[in-house]
Amino acid sequence: MPEERRRRLAAWCIAVIAFGAALSLWMGRGVVLAQPAVPGQLAVYAPQAYYNVPILSLHGQPYVGLVELLEPLGTVDARVDGKKLKMKFSAPNLRELELQFQDGKDKGKVRGQTFKLPGNFVIQNARGYIPLSAVNDVLARALAVSIRLNPAAGRLFIGDVGLRFSLDMRSGPPAKLFISFDAAVNPTIATEPGHIRFTFRRDAVLPAVDHVSFNDPLITGATFTEHDGAGELDIAGTVPLMANFADGRKTIIVTGVPAPPPVVVAPPPQPQLTAPTQAPPNLPKPPSGPRYFVMIDPAHGGSDIGAAITNDLAEKDLVLTLARRVQKELESRGIPAMLLRTSDTAISLDQRAVTTNAARPAIYVVIHAANTGSGVHVYTSMTESSSTTSRDFLPWESAQSAFAEQSEAVAASVMGELVSRKLPNSLMAAPLRPMNNIAAAAIAVEIASPDESVPDIAKASYLDQVAQAIATGIATYRNPKQGTHP
Amino acid sequence: MTRPLIVMFLVLLVIAGGLGFYAYHLHQRVAQEEQRLAEKASVALPAAGGPTIPVVLYVASDADGALHREQDNLPLPEERSERARAILRALLAKYAAGSSPHPLGASSDIRDVFLLGNDTAIVDTSAGFADSHPSGVLAEELTIASIVQTLAANDPKIARVKILVNGTERETLAGHADLERFFTTSEMEIFAKDAK
Repeated sequence: MPEERRRRLAAWCIAVIAFGAALSLWMGRGVVLAQPAVPGQLAVYAPQAYYNVPILSLHGQPYVGLVELLEPLGTVDARVDGKKLKMKFSAPNLRELELQFQDGKDKGKVRGQTFKLPGNFVIQNARGYIPLSAVNDVLARALAVSIRLNPAAGRLFIGDVGLRFSLDMRSGPPAKLFISFDAAVNPTIATEPGHIRFTFRRDAVLPAVDHVSFNDPLITGATFTEHDGAGELDIAGTVPLMANFADGRKTIIVTGVPAPPPVVVAPPPQPQLTAPTQAPPNLPKPPSGPRYFVMIDPAHGGSDIGAAITNDLAEKDLVLTLARRVQKELESRGIPAMLLRTSDTAISLDQRAVTTNAARPAIYVVIHAANTGSGVHVYTSMTESSSTTSRDFLPWESAQSAFAEQSEAVAASVMGELVSRKLPNSLMAAPLRPMNNIAAAAIAVEIASPDESVPDIAKASYLDQVAQAIATGIATYRNPKQGTHP
Repeated sequence: MTRPLIVMFLVLLVIAGGLGFYAYHLHQRVAQEEQRLAEKASVALPAAGGPTIPVVLYVASDADGALHREQDNLPLPEERSERARAILRALLAKYAAGSSPHPLGASSDIRDVFLLGNDTAIVDTSAGFADSHPSGVLAEELTIASIVQTLAANDPKIARVKILVNGTERETLAGHADLERFFTTSEMEIFAKDAK
């Protein structure tokens, strides 16, 4: 082969390889380029609710679902029309407004005003997603309130919900650090040598200080950080630290535990010497008395979508919507209610039962939806009634047996409300997990379409009727005389 | 742009187009093969293997959420578990029919029925039975009640039924009904009593 031809061939080969490499890098730039770490969930603190919204990585950027973001705050009516998403949103004290976005475009329209997004709007599986960094702009325009977003920490504050705190170091002995909050707080507390950490997940605690140092030999400083959807206050010390709550949990008092006097190592002839015993710290007591509340379990979630109600609507989403409505209706009747999941997350059946039993609710309601049949079906667990008198230790597989009578009474009460609202209904026992593992009165509610048209199942008026029937049924069960405000 | 680069770009474009066409072709072939396998696995009525005997089938209906009692005449084998299997296959054949009031996937089948002692039946269903089953509390409970009550109606000694999927225990049928448990005919009796 002539030298000139060989050189040209080599040049060709190098050019092809370089082009291929460049093409690969360009196509995979979303993967190759390092992305700032973003949390998996966005914790949202709003006057109406605390909830979590999943953060997805789309086109290498963090995105959140618009419906998931707005639904807990009011009533959402979203419609995907080709590449466009049109959404009507209304909330108490807020007149109905319209939001419009288009797949692949970086412009949105809220209240008739067009504005620019920091990235393209994305529609996937009939769901609309906005870039995480656009959340504060979109919400501020929609809700007309102040928004504080910390995207790196996954924390979003809507309106004036933030709890502030102040630090007051009082010299001792012993020295005490008073941490005062605007309202009662319920942090998780972790200790390790030289540190005590308060993690505020559900409490909307805002950063007041990044770091402050104290001129004290035992308690040396405090640092507040936000990460993973929570705020964390870390108190550092030179000795083990302990905390007490005061003022109805609005104040936390941190004190240092002085190190015990050094143990005197006795010479062999005098082995009787011992270290002074340390008095046990005065730990906070758990709240006294059981709290009457309802645990609402929106079934399925995450990769477990449940039934495909329509091409665009999965059971997991519909039941979460209904569960939120049931929660609102219960709370409006003075009955506290908790959702077992507030976002699109997968929870195993055993986990659902474990979480519920640990929380000790008075009533457990699991919500399902179906694309067959019609009406509302109420179920109790298909377990035999048990004469067990002790509720301290119940067999896992038949924990529900001891509560069969209460479950039937709750189901009958809810059925009565469905009948009075002329909603088609049925009541039966079902082999439905995790109901048989629940150590509380437990019912399942499965909604199907109110008529022959399956999409009608998602109508707001129908969901409201069902939610009101469930809530009133539970309120009536709790207090048969009043029915609404037990 | 130099001539070699233009040529190289065109060559890569042709290769990309070819790969795209090949991927589309593969996708079509896989879809056709799946369809063929599904059709092959669809339920066939039991072949005549014995004397024709009247049997009772409790057929589920989604429209009214109830079981409907139907009588049929089937050629049935002598052996008890084979007979139970043949009856359940006839039941599933009704659900696989186009006009079924409780449609199940075409690949639903009964692989085997094992009888333990006198009173317990282990029903081993095909993977397609559970994988293609409509998801819903009522829909799944109706299927189970239909199987349990059909077995009990034709073999009154059967008092407990366990349902397996492809030879193994599964947590739920299609996300709702608990398949880790035994079903007693007395639990499901309410469906037979209310049968229309």
